Amino acid sequence: MGFALIEKGRDVNKQILTGNQAVALGALRASVKVVTGYPGTPSTGCLTHLLTLDLPDRHVEWSSNEKVAFEIASAAAWAGHRALCTMKMSGLNVAYDALISIAYSGTNGGLVIYVADDPGVSAGMPEQDSRGFALMSQLPMLEPATLAEAYKLTQTAFELSEKTGSPVFVRLTTAVAVGHALVETEEAIAPKEIEPILERDIARYTKAGSKICLDQHQALIDRLNHARRIIHKMGLNRVKLSKEPGGLGIISVGATSTYMNEALALCSRLDASEASSSRVSVLSVRTTIPFPSEEVKQLLGHCETILVLEELEPHVEQAVYVAAQQLGFTGSIIGKLDGTLSPIGEYGVAEVLKGLGACGLSPVASGGKPQAAHNEPQVPNVPAPQESATLILASNAGAGRPPTVVGPNGEPSSTVLSSAAMAAPRPITVCAGCPHRGTYLAIEAAIKQAGFAKDDVMVTGDIGCTILGMNPPFNLIWNEVSMGTSISLAQGYVHAGLKTPVIATMGDSTFFHGGIPGLINAIQHQVPLTLVVMDNGWTSMTGMQVNAGTDDAFQSEGRRVDIEAVIRGLGPDRVEVVDPFDLNATTKALTRCLAEPQGVKVVLAQRECAIQTKRRGIVAEYTTIDPDKCILCKQCLRVTGCPALSVAQDSIAIDASLCNGCGLCTEFCPTGALSNSRAEGGAK
Amino acid sequence: MIACDIVLIGVGGQGIVTLGDLIGRAALAANVPVSYVPTKGMAQRGGFVKVEIRLGRETVGPRVPEHGADLVVSMERSEALKGLRFVRPNSRFILYDHVWEPTGVMLGKDDYPSQESVLETMSQALSDVLVLNPDNRPIFDDRPVAANVFTLGAMFSTPILRESIDPRTMESVLLHRWPKASEANLAAFHSGVQEGDATEYGFSQFSGGRKS
Repeated sequence: MGFALIEKGRDVNKQILTGNQAVALGALRASVKVVTGYPGTPSTGCLTHLLTLDLPDRHVEWSSNEKVAFEIASAAAWAGHRALCTMKMSGLNVAYDALISIAYSGTNGGLVIYVADDPGVSAGMPEQDSRGFALMSQLPMLEPATLAEAYKLTQTAFELSEKTGSPVFVRLTTAVAVGHALVETEEAIAPKEIEPILERDIARYTKAGSKICLDQHQALIDRLNHARRIIHKMGLNRVKLSKEPGGLGIISVGATSTYMNEALALCSRLDASEASSSRVSVLSVRTTIPFPSEEVKQLLGHCETILVLEELEPHVEQAVYVAAQQLGFTGSIIGKLDGTLSPIGEYGVAEVLKGLGACGLSPVASGGKPQAAHNEPQVPNVPAPQESATLILASNAGAGRPPTVVGPNGEPSSTVLSSAAMAAPRPITVCAGCPHRGTYLAIEAAIKQAGFAKDDVMVTGDIGCTILGMNPPFNLIWNEVSMGTSISLAQGYVHAGLKTPVIATMGDSTFFHGGIPGLINAIQHQVPLTLVVMDNGWTSMTGMQVNAGTDDAFQSEGRRVDIEAVIRGLGPDRVEVVDPFDLNATTKALTRCLAEPQGVKVVLAQRECAIQTKRRGIVAEYTTIDPDKCILCKQCLRVTGCPALSVAQDSIAIDASLCNGCGLCTEFCPTGALSNSRAEGGAK
Repeated sequence: MIACDIVLIGVGGQGIVTLGDLIGRAALAANVPVSYVPTKGMAQRGGFVKVEIRLGRETVGPRVPEHGADLVVSMERSEALKGLRFVRPNSRFILYDHVWEPTGVMLGKDDYPSQESVLETMSQALSDVLVLNPDNRPIFDDRPVAANVFTLGAMFSTPILRESIDPRTMESVLLHRWPKASEANLAAFHSGVQEGDATEYGFSQFSGGRKS
């Protein structure tokens, strides 16, 4: 998170920010009035940061899902205010139903959608390229390469949105979104004091009828072309042609631009500005949509070879092929479509070097000692001749390299790859004292008590911490698709004719986000299954955001929605409310559900997230070990996998700083060595 | 301006992300351009954590290139192996040789690499390795000093980092960050610097062979 305003001038603050915070502060500078979003790594930090600030006259909220969030922001913008909506790439899938319609209607106030893509997949979920959504909805999408650009282009996005009447995307990728760097920011500007626009115009705000929709389609195309002209005039997509025509032209999109500069410097020992004066021309693209056709035309008219550097799908590259065909360009185009680069994974210097290598450019040895290289300004640490082997590409690589050279295609050598594989596996599991641990153990026990084998019982999974039951020691959950999907998947398995009970699991935030329609469907169609809602009161995996079910004490302006009342209100055939730390009662409740062949059964397992109780210092009990009684059978560890337990010299040890006294481990100790005691005063 | 690329590696709960923040603050105070990106995965604790730090470059992509780090630091023995893709033969590597066994290892289901095998693998990739023995941490107020600040001190015994950021700037950041724990943190930092200065880099003295 950002910190330390060290230099506060009259107008400019210099501070270390994350990309997420830069977007947030950019929006404040741009007079944003309404900010909505749903948590999702790596985008979460934007709205989280705004919630830490005192923002009179602005509304900031975590909405129940991305579609709801986007719809709220859209109406605020239709009413003339500036609005921002934040989400991860998967959230855009949810918001898209509303988004495509609002794209056709356009906007009045600036409407900006901040979406964070995750090439390389730091946090799970498909490695999708959100630019595809911008292409389909024909909405401009700005792609900052650095944090400073994230701050500036967020403001540009609001201006562009108002000038063109189009919603505008700002897209960051993980390393820029969660990366930290020094950013100069200016004071926030309060939202405009305007009367909300009330405009009755069904031709614009409805989709009722073919004429309306066809006209809106034309208006949509016109807006994107308008945006293209504005963006061209602003010079957002910067083209620098080499002095002499011919040579290589590099198109770098978004975050790849910075790595391009670094790789070029390694190849030429020149910085990018000098490089461009030689035989290399560059086009730094910040908008895949609208495609910078004028700038690409310049590059194609000037260069012999084009290298396209873009992460994930070849959207720009495909458009370059089209432009090349239209212009009669006869040179070669290097990128993904010729097989040089991969659409998979995050790009860094290595991928750029691979692309440059295909164009005949390779890193140059410095000729000096490595330490000397450090002292040269602006020149990266170019390795000494012997070391440079680690960066030289296939075309130049000879025999007799040190054992750590990269492979022929720039991939790590087998030594390094196999060394990473030598590391001990470290599967992620639930925290010490996590209530989900009790639920997993109870589900497992109930399956057994109901007379079934674990491998015969489908337990569908959902997004968030609840999915951790897929990992050891539980190995309980079979699948994970999207928010609220577990309940619908379970119905499909029932209809497919499974003879064994089907169980669906999801968390509280997922339930509110997307789980309710699936549960309604199960009840309506009387699908025999058991839904386990693991309600820990927070949207936990993304770092503890408030959701509809979070306690009143943490609801900033609203109030808690009673999840039990919602479930009972839908009318399932059985509702059991349990405390997952009460393993016996939870197991019995689940066993009753599994024993009932018909109807929809819901088990609501309620217990607050252990991280949150620990932060507030609520510890009712603590667990101790009697080393004399411990026979080191490790049963506690084997069953619970609790991170607070470890194997010491002669007995199990408990890390008191982690243990919150859930007592689950005591249930599995055959000798009574583990026991729970009430903490001093009950709670501290 | 000296460019210095650092990769920090460890396990969630060891204070790796905090180390990244501290170096970021020190760079800011020293007026050195800095970019750093933490990678935490999904684990709150006990999972793989990495911070990539780039000092002394005005505009730069956040990721340290493979085989491009000047300094790689691992605070866990087994995880150190995941840092090797960042090293080149003349990188410096600091291993704070803590062993954090995953549950699968404690249960005898998974293997955990020996110190010997980790160092043997490292020796194929580079020569400048400093192994810090966690037991060598001095006692302050009846407890061993904080492992991450101790390691930070050892990092500041390397010339490349000292030339980028004055160790005194780092000290002052530590003081301001946690005023109440300033004495303990300074003790940890200084002992780390001393340990780094006193210990030979290389593979001939694995258990922290001291310079005479």
